[in-house]
Amino acid sequence: MVGETMKINSYQEMNGFAIDMFREIGSIGTGNAATALSQTLSAKISMSLPEVKIMGYNQVIDFLGGPEKIVAAVLVHMTGEFSGIMLYLLDFNFVNIVFERLSLGKIEHFEEIDEMRASAIAEISNIIISSYANAVAQLSSISINLSVPAMAINMLGGIMSVPMIEYGYTTDKIMIVDGKFI
Amino acid sequence: MKFTRMEGRLITYALGSCVGVCLYDPIAKVGAMVHVMLPQKLENSVDSNVFKFADTGIRATIRKMEVFGAVKRRLIAKIAGGAKMFDIPGGGSLGNIGQRNIESVRQTLKAEGIPIVAEDVGSNYARTLVFDCTNGQGNIRSFGRKEVIF
Repeated sequence: MVGETMKINSYQEMNGFAIDMFREIGSIGTGNAATALSQTLSAKISMSLPEVKIMGYNQVIDFLGGPEKIVAAVLVHMTGEFSGIMLYLLDFNFVNIVFERLSLGKIEHFEEIDEMRASAIAEISNIIISSYANAVAQLSSISINLSVPAMAINMLGGIMSVPMIEYGYTTDKIMIVDGKFI
Repeated sequence: MKFTRMEGRLITYALGSCVGVCLYDPIAKVGAMVHVMLPQKLENSVDSNVFKFADTGIRATIRKMEVFGAVKRRLIAKIAGGAKMFDIPGGGSLGNIGQRNIESVRQTLKAEGIPIVAEDVGSNYARTLVFDCTNGQGNIRSFGRKEVIF
């Protein structure tokens, strides 16, 4: 558990130990999410060891593909002992893999997403988010309640403005625990 | 905040719940664009970036434009953004910050006596805003929608 002595006011104050801890949490979260995803899609999914990076918002947007890139995003509100938001981003290739696996057929453009495909995206994301949150909750013995997921398909910059604004009074930086499904 | 005089285009990519405010003096051809993230600067805030907030951001921009030859009573405004990107059931402030940004921008502009001559705000999609300083024309790109000229 994190004791009172480890409270910080900004990401810059994090030491190597704290960063390692987040890498571990990220690794367990992503691992659980990958397992859940692999069961749902009946596919073998491996993941890379996550890296922890602290960046400014604009850097994050560029890192993820630029402000005008179209992505699918699912957002869940966390309440309880641990509050915040979880935002899950799916890029075009990934949604196509999901559609193929679920026999919904590939698409050429994001515009072609119909109701059936949209609900598939929401469901897959919900599975990933809840298994990630579950792993983190179990690891830290903190209870987390998740809201119903909300989905958007739009420009990355606009989507990222949501967490950016939500924490705009607190910080100008974002911590990324970057694990990749392979 | 960015600004330009006589020529050049100002651009802000993919405004979501943020609001892009274009201020323009058509005679001196001085134009500026502020990217507003939050409605108000908190009283005890130590945040050094005043341009993040609608109230302090717009006022600081006007001052800067005056330095570069703009006259405040000639200024006009065009605003875009303030979308609600996600429809979150019970999301509280998460859901309506875009709307609060729009209201704060309108209030600040009204208090400064600057008319809003065009706006494209609200709804649920991101907007890329381009403002041309040679003619004061705004242009909005968004996903799956026609380009808007305003």
